[in-house]
Amino acid sequence: MAAIAVHKFAQCITCHAWSPDLSMVAFCPNSNEVHIYKLLQDKWEKVHVLQKHDQIVSGIDWSARSNRIVTASHDRNSYVWNLEGSEWVPTLVILRLNRAALCVQWSPKENKFAVGSGAKTVCVCYYEQENNWWVSKLIRKRHDSSVTGVAWHPNNIFLATTSTDGKCRVFSTFIKGVDTKDSRTGPTSDSKFGEQIVQLDLSFSWAFGVKWSPSGNTLAYVGHNSMIYFVDDVGPSPLAQNVAFRDLPLRDVLFVSERMAIGVGFDCSPMVFAADDRGIWSFIRFLGERKVTSSGSTYGSQFSEAFGKLYGGQTKHGVSHDAVEPSRSRGGIHENCIKYLLYSAA
Amino acid sequence: MAATGGFVEADNAEAIITRIEHKSRKIESLLKQLKPVEALKTALEGSPPMTRDERCKSANWIVVHRALMAIKDVDGMLSSLDPEYHDILMKYLYRGLSTGDRPTCDQCLRIHEKLTEKAGLGCILRSLADTVNTV
Repeated sequence: MAAIAVHKFAQCITCHAWSPDLSMVAFCPNSNEVHIYKLLQDKWEKVHVLQKHDQIVSGIDWSARSNRIVTASHDRNSYVWNLEGSEWVPTLVILRLNRAALCVQWSPKENKFAVGSGAKTVCVCYYEQENNWWVSKLIRKRHDSSVTGVAWHPNNIFLATTSTDGKCRVFSTFIKGVDTKDSRTGPTSDSKFGEQIVQLDLSFSWAFGVKWSPSGNTLAYVGHNSMIYFVDDVGPSPLAQNVAFRDLPLRDVLFVSERMAIGVGFDCSPMVFAADDRGIWSFIRFLGERKVTSSGSTYGSQFSEAFGKLYGGQTKHGVSHDAVEPSRSRGGIHENCIKYLLYSAA
Repeated sequence: MAATGGFVEADNAEAIITRIEHKSRKIESLLKQLKPVEALKTALEGSPPMTRDERCKSANWIVVHRALMAIKDVDGMLSSLDPEYHDILMKYLYRGLSTGDRPTCDQCLRIHEKLTEKAGLGCILRSLADTVNTV
């Protein structure tokens, strides 16, 4: 399956989000701004520029039903943008952080959002109608290092976080007045805000992208040691599967269905993982074309050159060295590390 | 399997070293029977990663080193080695490369090239990223 469309918006994109109707995309071109582009008659036009942050915008999420954009930045702030007329109007959210915000995500009901930060805390923000502002509640305990990824469970209460301390944790973010106690979903004894449900210590290196499967039964997260972890029965005794793969580490993962997930990372080509009938996950294939070289070594030209020198001048055949600057392209669409993956199929 | 962080204490180290000595005798006999691949498998099996005791690690390294140096047919060895041993073998290869000893480094580099072709860059990543289970 090759890429459906390819468009170069900027030299480097830090983070992005699709609009609810998929006609627009908001991204940060590695600066303190957010650009929104709209597809008009087969051409992408820049329609809005959101300028409020002082430093690089590290996370953007666009809520599907309420059409609000939340942005989080290294300047320790977060803004919620509402479309009023034809202008996006920002509302500052005081996160009370003393380090950069690294990632942000709206909850499924869009009444809360979570921000992971370098201050080893997670902020869960909700809207207080009486005072007309967003309040931030911090989960200060437990994390030993920066929180790199956050993911909401479909029940709008459980939040999974990954951190550079290698662990993936699930917390309860029950807020009185915002959430309703639903006796069907899980033990009500764990309904205190900031209560840790489970801590998964599977990776011995940094953990990055984390996602729940559509039903919330399975949790997947990636480690910087070229492994992806699939966890069922998230609770006191979780069932984890460690899937090791051949190539460079992933940075983000996305569930396409209950049994299929796609990972993206330093290999520039998305990887497809699937679970078989027994529920065992494994790597299936790469998405998109891959330049396969004859001698069986499938690294980009940059690595082949390095390995050639390492193994004493043995030449690797079949890899093209035409580019003056060694590019890491592998016949795929992306030429550099892919950091985020978003679901945007209609 | 979630790591429990249960590191072995010093008194258990003696038990591990005895096990390693026992392994060493088995490996010597396998090498005499000209079965270097089995010898390497035995050496890699039961490697004590969850211990901070340097003596255990060194003792196991000596045993693995002996088996590694006896390998002549690298391709054959790798094709009969289970994939679960790839990561631990890569860690020992890096330990070998760090010794600086010419014959050891030559052999380790030879195996490293073939193992990387077989197991991919992910194998190298896992041996580098894992600072908890070192060999």
